[in-house]
Amino acid sequence: MIKSCSWPFLRGALGAAFMLGWALAPALACAGDASAGSDVFKSECAECHSVKEGRNKKGPSLFGIVGRQSGAIADYAYSDALKQAHWTWSADKLHEYLSQPARQANPGTKMKYDGLSDSKQLDDLLSYLSTLH
Amino acid sequence: MPSPAIRNAARRRAYLWCSLGALPLLASNAAHAIPAYARQTGAACADCHAGSYGPALTPYGMRFKLNGYTDTDGKGFKLPAAVQLTETRTVPTQGDNTTRLSQADLYLAGRINDYLGGYVKVQSFNQGAGKFNTQLGDMDLRFVVKDLKLGGRDTTLGVTVNNNPGFQDPISALPGATANGPPAVPGAGTLLNPSSSNTLADRVIGASVYALYDANWYGEIGSYNALPTSLQDRFGYTLGGDPGRLSDTGYARFAYMRDLRRQFYSIGLVALTTKRQLPRIGPREGITDLGYDLTYQFLGNRENILQLAYVNIYERRRYAGVFVSPSVPGLVSLPRGVVHDQTLTLTYTFKQSYGLAYSHLISSGTHDAARFTPHGDPDTVSDSISLFWTPFGKDDSLTSIANLKLSATWFLFSKYNGSSDDIFGNAPPVTNAHDLNAFLLSASVAF
Repeated sequence: MIKSCSWPFLRGALGAAFMLGWALAPALACAGDASAGSDVFKSECAECHSVKEGRNKKGPSLFGIVGRQSGAIADYAYSDALKQAHWTWSADKLHEYLSQPARQANPGTKMKYDGLSDSKQLDDLLSYLSTLH
Repeated sequence: MPSPAIRNAARRRAYLWCSLGALPLLASNAAHAIPAYARQTGAACADCHAGSYGPALTPYGMRFKLNGYTDTDGKGFKLPAAVQLTETRTVPTQGDNTTRLSQADLYLAGRINDYLGGYVKVQSFNQGAGKFNTQLGDMDLRFVVKDLKLGGRDTTLGVTVNNNPGFQDPISALPGATANGPPAVPGAGTLLNPSSSNTLADRVIGASVYALYDANWYGEIGSYNALPTSLQDRFGYTLGGDPGRLSDTGYARFAYMRDLRRQFYSIGLVALTTKRQLPRIGPREGITDLGYDLTYQFLGNRENILQLAYVNIYERRRYAGVFVSPSVPGLVSLPRGVVHDQTLTLTYTFKQSYGLAYSHLISSGTHDAARFTPHGDPDTVSDSISLFWTPFGKDDSLTSIANLKLSATWFLFSKYNGSSDDIFGNAPPVTNAHDLNAFLLSASVAF
């Protein structure tokens, strides 16, 4: 009884949550200025990451990063810590990850980054990353 | 005994050779943007060098060097070799213009594993008439241990084996790293300046231990010894430039550096002390270099990059002995003296491709009428101005792992051998400092 009643409800709720998330994610990502975010990328990320599809540097390509599964690029040698994280790089997850030292966010990661404490710059950066599709 | 006119002519030739010989150093054709490193790391030349060609390093390039050239994109073995070819048109104020393939270089550069990496340059200079002189150039082999914790702070420890004091420095502002030391007359110039006569550069071998603590504090301590003259000869160096027998040699370097992502600054101290026998069977002289350097970089979003470096090296000498001047009866040289090298360099780079570099170089020393004839002062003041274009080596350029550099460089001397006019003495024809000026056009390709 409970099962028959709750499944359509749950399915609807999940669908609504997904739609809400889908609607909000770009809104969150777009809270910043993508053009300014491009500059933040150049000063904070570009030495280790390329935005070109398939081009890995010391870090993996960030083409299509927003919405991607962690550790998903086949020809990049991720750390075991990130392989086992099983994250989806949503805008929220990226915000959380990049706002603190990488080794704190994902102990054992290869990534050496102290984090971006300026919330405006972080919003701008996430807006820019969301355009990389 | 040769006549004064013959002595003056010989001296003029020697000094001209010395000053003009320094020009390739000033031209900084030394590509440190080694394509082998770009292939190894997946990074673009521009990530390590503001002008995509070097030698000045960005903070990212400094970290790569500190990490022993071992960083990688993780995609397996890459051939640790690269080639550079340079064609140069030289237009001196005095002498003939030349256009030739001036230099061909082979770099063996890259990682062996996560702990071992290196840089070795084999350089071949065109001497004219189809003759090339091949030399072992700068070398820096490293063992490094990364990701250590000391007092809870990130620490990197390493050992470098190198052949040019200062070349191994991560900030890369010292003359050994920039190949941009002030031109110096024979007998002047500091030991840390590769443009000095009887320079240590590439004719010594040394090892030092270094550490980077908390990403900001750098310390290094080590020692050097001169290569045997037979080995110098085998490595392509004339014995006339032998640095002599060295003993009790110590090198120390301490620096504070701060990478603010959009800006970088550093302040450093350097010291080199040795006892030298030159010639090798002669008595020992004591030489101590003490220097400091200040650097600043505005990197921003990498569209407009400004790099500023000032290096000041003071050298104290206790000469092995005194001598009587051959030209002025009764005049005796001083038993002690100092020499002093200063370099100010300002580089602006637009879009990591177009650049303007300016250097003001001063080499000076204690007045010694017997030692520095005919004016008694070794002072040399010069400027270099260089315009350059590096079309490749960026993430978004045709290729990010090979490059071309076209440059036009002016070398301007306002004082040489202690004077602006009649720099070699009173025998006609008179040579003034500006007669040493030269203009160079060069095209370098590295792949």
